[in-house]
Amino acid sequence: MFTKCCITFIESCQGAVGECTSTVSSERLVIIYQREELISTLFINYLFTGPPVNVIIVPTTAAPPTPQPGLTAIGQGALSCAVNNNNQQLVCLQGTKCELKVKNGAVYEGVFKTYGPECDLVLDAAHRKSPEMSLAPRKEDIVESIIFKTSDVVVVTFKDVDLNFARKDNFTDASVSGRINGEHKEKDLEPWDGGETHNSDSLESLDTDVSNGWDPNDMFKYNEEKYGVLSTYDSSLSTYTVPLERDDSEEFLKREARAAQLAEEIEASATYKARVALENDERTEEEKYTAVVRGERETHTLSRENKYIPPGQRNRDAMSWGPGRQNSPRLAQNSAGVSTPRPGPHDYSPSSGADQRVVNGGSSHWPSPCPSPSSRPPSRYQSGPSSLPPRATTPTRPPSRPPSRPSRPPSHSSHPSYPSSSSSFSHHGPTSPASNLPKRMSSEGPPRMSPKSQRTPRAHRVPPSRISGVHPGVDLVPHNPAGDVSAAPSTRSSSSGGTWSSVVSGGRLKFTHRPRSPRQSSLSGASPGSSQTGTAPVETVTLISASSPTAASPAPNMVAPPSGDAKECRVQETRQSSPSANESTKPVDNSPFSLLAGPPPMAADHRKQIDNLKKFSEDFRLQPSSNPEAAFEPMMTKSQRDPADNTNTNTSKPGSPAALSPSPSAPDQKRAGLDVTSQGVQTTAVSAFSGPKHEEEEKKEAVQDQVRKSTLNPNANEFKPRFNTQPKPASTPTPPRPQGQPSPSIVVQQPQAVYGQTVCFPQMYPLTPVSPGVQSPVYQVQMPHMTVSQSKPYRPGKVPNMPQQRSDQHHPPGTPTMMHPATAAGPPIVAPNPAYSAQYFACGPQQFTSQPLVQQMTHYQSQAQHVFSPVMQGSARMMAPHTHSQPGLVSSSTTQYPEQTHTMYANANMHADSCAPVSPGPMPQQYAHPSATLHHHPQHPQPSATPTGQGQQGGPQQHGGPPSHPAASPVQHPQHPQAAAAALHLASQPPQQQMYSALAPTPPSMTPGPNPQSSQASFPSAQQTVYLHPQVQHSYNHSHMAHMQQAHMQSGIVPSHHPAPTHPPMMLMATQGPPGGPQPQMPQAALNPIPVSSTTHFSYLAHPQGTRRRQRSGHLLSLKEDKVGSTGIFWIFEECRGTVDRRRLSCLQHVQKKCL
Amino acid sequence: MAAPGPGEYFSVGSHVSCLTCLGQRLQGEVVAFDYQSKMLTLKCASSSGKSNLNDVILINLAYVSEVDIINDRTETPPPLASLNVGKLANRARTEKEDKLSQAYAISAGVSLEGQQLFQTIHKTIKDCKWQEKNIIVMDDVVISPPYQVENCRGKEGSALSHVRKIVEKHFRDVESQKSMQRSQAQQTQKDSTLSS
Repeated sequence: MFTKCCITFIESCQGAVGECTSTVSSERLVIIYQREELISTLFINYLFTGPPVNVIIVPTTAAPPTPQPGLTAIGQGALSCAVNNNNQQLVCLQGTKCELKVKNGAVYEGVFKTYGPECDLVLDAAHRKSPEMSLAPRKEDIVESIIFKTSDVVVVTFKDVDLNFARKDNFTDASVSGRINGEHKEKDLEPWDGGETHNSDSLESLDTDVSNGWDPNDMFKYNEEKYGVLSTYDSSLSTYTVPLERDDSEEFLKREARAAQLAEEIEASATYKARVALENDERTEEEKYTAVVRGERETHTLSRENKYIPPGQRNRDAMSWGPGRQNSPRLAQNSAGVSTPRPGPHDYSPSSGADQRVVNGGSSHWPSPCPSPSSRPPSRYQSGPSSLPPRATTPTRPPSRPPSRPSRPPSHSSHPSYPSSSSSFSHHGPTSPASNLPKRMSSEGPPRMSPKSQRTPRAHRVPPSRISGVHPGVDLVPHNPAGDVSAAPSTRSSSSGGTWSSVVSGGRLKFTHRPRSPRQSSLSGASPGSSQTGTAPVETVTLISASSPTAASPAPNMVAPPSGDAKECRVQETRQSSPSANESTKPVDNSPFSLLAGPPPMAADHRKQIDNLKKFSEDFRLQPSSNPEAAFEPMMTKSQRDPADNTNTNTSKPGSPAALSPSPSAPDQKRAGLDVTSQGVQTTAVSAFSGPKHEEEEKKEAVQDQVRKSTLNPNANEFKPRFNTQPKPASTPTPPRPQGQPSPSIVVQQPQAVYGQTVCFPQMYPLTPVSPGVQSPVYQVQMPHMTVSQSKPYRPGKVPNMPQQRSDQHHPPGTPTMMHPATAAGPPIVAPNPAYSAQYFACGPQQFTSQPLVQQMTHYQSQAQHVFSPVMQGSARMMAPHTHSQPGLVSSSTTQYPEQTHTMYANANMHADSCAPVSPGPMPQQYAHPSATLHHHPQHPQPSATPTGQGQQGGPQQHGGPPSHPAASPVQHPQHPQAAAAALHLASQPPQQQMYSALAPTPPSMTPGPNPQSSQASFPSAQQTVYLHPQVQHSYNHSHMAHMQQAHMQSGIVPSHHPAPTHPPMMLMATQGPPGGPQPQMPQAALNPIPVSSTTHFSYLAHPQGTRRRQRSGHLLSLKEDKVGSTGIFWIFEECRGTVDRRRLSCLQHVQKKCL
Repeated sequence: MAAPGPGEYFSVGSHVSCLTCLGQRLQGEVVAFDYQSKMLTLKCASSSGKSNLNDVILINLAYVSEVDIINDRTETPPPLASLNVGKLANRARTEKEDKLSQAYAISAGVSLEGQQLFQTIHKTIKDCKWQEKNIIVMDDVVISPPYQVENCRGKEGSALSHVRKIVEKHFRDVESQKSMQRSQAQQTQKDSTLSS
């Protein structure tokens, strides 16, 4: 009856579109139908000769199907794809056993596989059921797959089917609650009150009980007694490491110093802090999220500060936070003034918990210490301070510059003034912590600081001293701010914001903590330095604000530096007095902030300061007029507005000398972001920054960036838009563009061509460079991403600073390191214009100032910086081989950077990795961290760390110190014929550009994911997106980055910017190439895998590394491919959207390929 | 193709009864209906009597002689739930593998008892497979023909004892079934004799 039948079936078509290969010569039927998500695609080629036959589908690899006698005929022809939606019900039956009865009465049994457009049914492992064959079929009877034509099917019976088998909503709240019997309603949680007998002490004891279970020794002892198990634990860990042989040799001392520096850097890094915070966060999940809120009780400082507050609710939170803050302040006061039994609680409350800890931990191991006093090592503190001093140095510089502040606003040339202003800011920042800071300043600051800077610091110190008189209050204030910040951040939840806040708060906390605990007091000696440093940053910030003409005028008014402190105290008091007052206080603070940063001392103050800073930035950008608005805004929205207020205060500060001190707070914030050490001092400011938390921070950052821009640029007008935009991440980017435009040279550079937005940003960067141009081209570049040109420049500056610092630290490699910094920051600028190099010098100070701004802007800046840094690093690495120190520095910087901008970093890392093996390790980690929300924060902290370095560098530059300067002043390097340096610069620039371009492109992409990846994204949207999809973003980012880079590269990264075309280009090419290559390939690869199997996609997502690798491989390939297809970009974006889309994309790609 | 006219369309939720060309009477609730292919999907109560399960019947209306709508439902059907495709695909694969594995054993000449035992064990322990005529359970216990309790070999342990229990129970159940059938048969015989 049936003659022949030959069919090929391609298996595993699910979710993918594939090709059919016909093994048959004559007729071939291809059935391709795809059911969205439901049914896979079938490819069937079959040939009939003779009468119609049942179609037997056999795996391609399998032997040709054997004719099945007795099968009913199946029609021929292609199947259409019209399927009734109702048939989706059939999908539920997939994988169930069924009996299919055909026209002639034969019955087939098989596993229902799928169905076709016209209800053709496919049974897997089907066999014909014969009456005599009661039991299971034999192997020979089973056919892999059989397609039954609809017209042949009479009845199909599925027995015992669970129609809800594949329902997805089995575990949704609705589905679960739907099954719950009886009446269920939310139970109102009531705080447990033990009554009078159980006073707060007992509760506190529980909260603060540091002893967590068994002491290790007890455990050993118990095991020995009970089980006879002898622990082999060796405290020396000889199994894992080798004891350090100490000697007095110079080399050893050098190495030790270096190690100490590195340790400081690491511990100051936001990442480190964030990690430590995570580890040392003693709060339980319950405490964080579900415990009854005892905010009303001061004793329960833990309360809510730690809790994550959605951005949308932050304002409310701020209200609610008030109590917490108050508590924290109270605690702080208690701790400071009176030894509170609960050190831990204090920490929590003050820092709003983890954040502070983190910061502390980062800078000086405080995190853990804070919770447990014992844990706090004085030595570390000291070390911290020691580390801080360098930062302090930066402050010192600022001091010298402060005088110039007035001048700054008028012209960029004022850069020096910026530094000085920064110093003043820093001082201001310290004001709240001032007491501590001053101490530090006195102790450490002077030596390190340049004479001028020292002077200024001293002046600042004076205010601090006043504050110091208030010490307890001050400390409390800082804590409060920190707490506020931390609360707002619940930064942990919001990684970036949290970390920042934490860092900042940490710095402050450190100060506060030190004062609180006797140890701390001892430490405080050391800490003062840090505080000083912190203050310095703050000052710089103020300077910056001052620098911006607009800001200067309004800001000054706003900020009444001296009064600020007093206000802070007042504010603190008010806060303490009434928790709810916090809100009120905040507003008050805002006003105070406008007057001074002082009020900010409180968490609210900090926030306000931050807000002020933001506002300042905005104002600056916007110009004076904007400032008032900003101030108002801060009032309105605590987080944003607060920051704005801070900025405003800062700006106001700049305006008035006294204001400078307040402004310092803003600078402090920025600096805090930049310099961890400074953070201590700045902590309040930082905390303020953190207060806004992620979003706020971001906003702040944006604001800061703006501010920076403003400071940097007279282009306040441009900035204004940014300010406006700042609130909105997306919008911010655009404003930067305008800024970027100001600096044509830079702007032109790259990406623009590819991505309009990105380009704009880059331009913005350039612009920033222009005004700040001196400061750091890099910054500018970064700024573009951020949109806030100023902030960007600052960040870049920070970044560069970081490298510089490191380089400085590494002195030996110093020049190389210098090169790196220069390359990192300077390269872009330098390359474009020699003047820029000079600017860099000037920028040094500016950078400092910018750093503070950066802190505020932290996210943006940090991201931008990161981006830059990666790029720079990448370039550096490329170059790095030559310079030993650079790698280390670079790596560190890179690590930080990576965290901030995952994708960017990844790209950079990729490059770097390829170039420098050393860096890769750190990079990945960082990346991972970046993925975490904290990353942003960490980044900021890192920046802060870098800032210190910057500060140092800046200091040296000012001083003219060759070693430090080298790094600090890229220009110098450029001047130096060193080809390597040039190459670096060139390379760095290109990379940066690429980075920018990449960043920019991502934003354009529309997809949030990409944006996050991009520096821009990092700012507002980026952070958000990042949070949402860290992994995906990473992977995507990489690809995006690659694309971006490629695009940029193509657009002309190499082109003009790089003087040393061949070598630098090569370098760039290498770096860029990989990215570019990866991009194209990446997308394809990703897509390709996807088609094959959905798992591949997932794997891709799940395993960024894998993707990276692919990318790398892709890079290699891509190198050849200069052209980045628009489709590629599109795909990238698409990828960000989700797996489903990816699948579709993959399918599309396949189709496209085929078509092509 | 023209839109389905009145009486030619089945709304989801309706109860329909039809008679196939093979003389089979089918009745159930309409789950889906594809007008183009005239494929009607009915949901019926499970033949095994389990309340959480259903029998689903796909009917080609081209081969149905009678279609009676017992009661119609006009309200719109509930929205389709999203499905876990992966889960479905997984099920399809495992089902297929199970069947092939079973077929493998059968083709190897395993006795009916062996196959039944395998099915019984498989219900409890998924990790069982055929190795020639031996049943390998959890890669640990080997049951060789004639598949009696004493044929269970393997490392002494809980696994072996557990498998033995299963085997023991299986044959006990089989015996009881047989006895049941026997008694029933006898009963019928008695009835028939009595009636006669």
